[in-house]
Amino acid sequence: MATRSRATPKTKDKSAASRPLKLPTATETTTSTGLQVMAAERGPLPLVAMRLVLRAGSATDPKDKQGLADFTVRLLRRGTERMSADAIDEAIEFVGASLAAGVSEDLMSLYVTTPAEHFPAMLSVLGQLVREPIFPEKEVELARERSLAQFANDLDDPSTIADRAFTQELWGDHPYGHDVGGTASHVRTFTREDVVRFHRERIGPKGALLVVVGAVKPEVVAAEAEKAFGGWTQPEQLELLTVPPLERLAQAGRILLIDKPDQSQSQVRIGGPGYRIGHPDYFAATAMNIALGGGFTSRLVNAVRVERGLSYSVGSYFDTMSAGGIFAISTFTKTASTREIIDVSLGEVGKVRKGGITPRELKTAQTYLAGLYPLRTETSESVASVLADIRVHGLGDDWVEQFRDRLRAVTPKQVKTVAAKYLYPQAPTMVLLGKASEVKKQLKGLGPVTVVPVSEYE
Amino acid sequence: MPKASSRPPARKADPALQSLLDVHEAQLSNGLRIRLLPNPQTPVVSLYTFFQVGSRNERPGITGISHLFEHMMFNGAKKYGPKEFDRVLESNGGRSNAYTSNDMTVYYDDFSSDALETVLDLESDRMRSLRISDDTLASEREVVKEERRVRVDNEITGILDEELGTLVYKAHPYRWPVIGWMADIENISRRDCEEYFRTYYAPSNAVLYISGDINPKKTMALIRRYYGDIPKGPKPIPVIDAEPAQKGERRAVVRHPAQSPSLMIGFRGPRATEEETLVLDVIQYALNKGEGSRLVKGLVYEQQVAVSVMLDWGWRIDPGTILFYLELKPDSDPQKVEAALYTELERMAREGLNERELQKAKNNLRADQLRELGTNTGRAHALGHYEALLGSWKELLTLPSRYAGITNEQVKATAAKYFAPERRSVVTLVPETDSAANGAED
Repeated sequence: MATRSRATPKTKDKSAASRPLKLPTATETTTSTGLQVMAAERGPLPLVAMRLVLRAGSATDPKDKQGLADFTVRLLRRGTERMSADAIDEAIEFVGASLAAGVSEDLMSLYVTTPAEHFPAMLSVLGQLVREPIFPEKEVELARERSLAQFANDLDDPSTIADRAFTQELWGDHPYGHDVGGTASHVRTFTREDVVRFHRERIGPKGALLVVVGAVKPEVVAAEAEKAFGGWTQPEQLELLTVPPLERLAQAGRILLIDKPDQSQSQVRIGGPGYRIGHPDYFAATAMNIALGGGFTSRLVNAVRVERGLSYSVGSYFDTMSAGGIFAISTFTKTASTREIIDVSLGEVGKVRKGGITPRELKTAQTYLAGLYPLRTETSESVASVLADIRVHGLGDDWVEQFRDRLRAVTPKQVKTVAAKYLYPQAPTMVLLGKASEVKKQLKGLGPVTVVPVSEYE
Repeated sequence: MPKASSRPPARKADPALQSLLDVHEAQLSNGLRIRLLPNPQTPVVSLYTFFQVGSRNERPGITGISHLFEHMMFNGAKKYGPKEFDRVLESNGGRSNAYTSNDMTVYYDDFSSDALETVLDLESDRMRSLRISDDTLASEREVVKEERRVRVDNEITGILDEELGTLVYKAHPYRWPVIGWMADIENISRRDCEEYFRTYYAPSNAVLYISGDINPKKTMALIRRYYGDIPKGPKPIPVIDAEPAQKGERRAVVRHPAQSPSLMIGFRGPRATEEETLVLDVIQYALNKGEGSRLVKGLVYEQQVAVSVMLDWGWRIDPGTILFYLELKPDSDPQKVEAALYTELERMAREGLNERELQKAKNNLRADQLRELGTNTGRAHALGHYEALLGSWKELLTLPSRYAGITNEQVKATAAKYFAPERRSVVTLVPETDSAANGAED
């Protein structure tokens, strides 16, 4: 009954997990007005997944209209030239299809999954949503009212507010420096004209990509895409935005303490600069992060949760966007342990920054990630997403195929280099949310502390 | 069994599902049941272990023990000691987690397919010989207390849900939260945990589901080797459903710092095995699935009285709760929103659904079922879920034909029966501005 954990490389080579991992072949076409289309046929379920990617993320929000991209994408389905909001809902929902839409910092995406027999009809609806939304005045008002109520209710959600404040603290005035949903003070000013202008200037075929994966032939996808998007022109669409890189953290070394006196726990966020998506440091940094704060056996989980019982959840992560990224720790603990959890977490980060990780930790991280990586290609939705990411971020067509080999090639020396580079060589930014009267006195010696009421983050 | 239906339900196996679910079954002499579902598409495997134990099997004084115990299952056994389970699993390309519900505790692993034998070794080790130390129990108890703080004490829906449970149930163990009361979490002893392990974590109280890149014959041989010698356990004591009939509406008010009032409303529902459970699924979809559903369209878009509305009909072994949660705007009048909701429910009881709504609900139930079966983890979990609640995973195959056969007469009868005011419990959150008055625990 020997465990396989000491299996030799020889047996590994023959194992199923080392079989080459391939995405289904994607056929690429372009519609007559320039929309790029990727199609991959894939079974066995009689379903089709689609992702339409537009270069209209929250970084394209006007400076005084933060949240406009997110607000606009939610309104796309509330009426078009040919269909009312009710008719759109009915068309999609009657057949068991689903539509989700959202924005990240860089992209606006619409996701549809549908039973295969309804693919042409659903693609046609998708085309109408982006080509001819009419944004009825009443729908704009209602969306604004709902958003404002949601912003108010968010004040009762400690984790949401801590994250929102953290984004602002890290990025400052940079286009990534606001929550994708914006803030109440900006959303309050949104008018129909703002939304119409955003649509005209940002939502068009330039830079757009449609990916279709599932039980449908690529030639059918190409033909239906021409029908649904063939006439899509947007003469006033602006040139695609180039987001500047992050020069330095806006609030390095500062501690922001958000006061929410009814809390029995503190939310804790600690962050510093990271790297952009597709950066050469990705593999070494990812392997390092698994050992530091990724998996269940990571140093942070061990020190904070297993050894001290300080939190239910602790982890570190790199968040990567097209122009830059951050490295952060996210956790929470009872009010009395706030300082302890900060000290323990920074202590673990410091040890890895100075000494790297052990060869055994590196090996574990590599095997762990490589073993689970095939899950990224398990569903048609996930294949559609990875195909889109490869294209949009220029990751290279062999990204999936080469992923595990590149990961396994990471050396301890590379890990040491990225650890020194990203694990807070300068003082990190901290955001704490909790009962300030109890927390503040625990923070002596950590850096300048600013206390603000939670209501500032609506 | 079905009381409301006017004709016996069709129970034909669905051919599309049958072709997806080529399940190999076995039972070891110690009672362990095994369900294997090969799928070579990607080199990964999901393994689920379902234990028939949840907060339903607890008693006052040890509420939350099933959940606390769930954590302890990761803290060391005879062969793989403290910290070894996750270390060995991760270093072989796998990850693991677990959850506890009112009715069951479920452990799951996703892993690279060449780690199968290692995973069986790890899982069988903790089923055979879990070791609970005072140190790990003390530390894990603190982790669970933090979990309770984040999910209940500092989370409005957690507070309301806990209040609602004690209104809906007077005698049944569904009364207390799965995570348990804080004082009980603090007092559960090592001895309680050990007794719990002997009673509920025996192979005779468990089912293994393995879906993914496996060879069924070889896998079965490995399972026999690793699990075959674990002794059978005693038969757990049956849980008595002593819940008395509800005689009228029940209400509670929670005062807590908040921006807006909100409402959580529960109606006492049937047990999962009753035919009406499926009718309630159809009703749930018509009322709450999608932007065009009756409650979202009516309360959120047309009347604009709610920011969001959620309806959860969660299947349970004993009669469960049909749960509504309405998030309101600041300065809303919760009574008005309640009235708007009841108008919709009364309409459902009076008129039921039109043909198109009925068909739409069925189309969506079908599509969601296919999506659920799109991953190894979804497939393995679905088999376990239906077996635990309906007695056999094969019930899954007949669900499409049973949903398809549901009539509007059944919809009306079921809505009239279950949305009756005397089955209702209502918790209203009233925003409290004086936060000092609200001392959360410790």
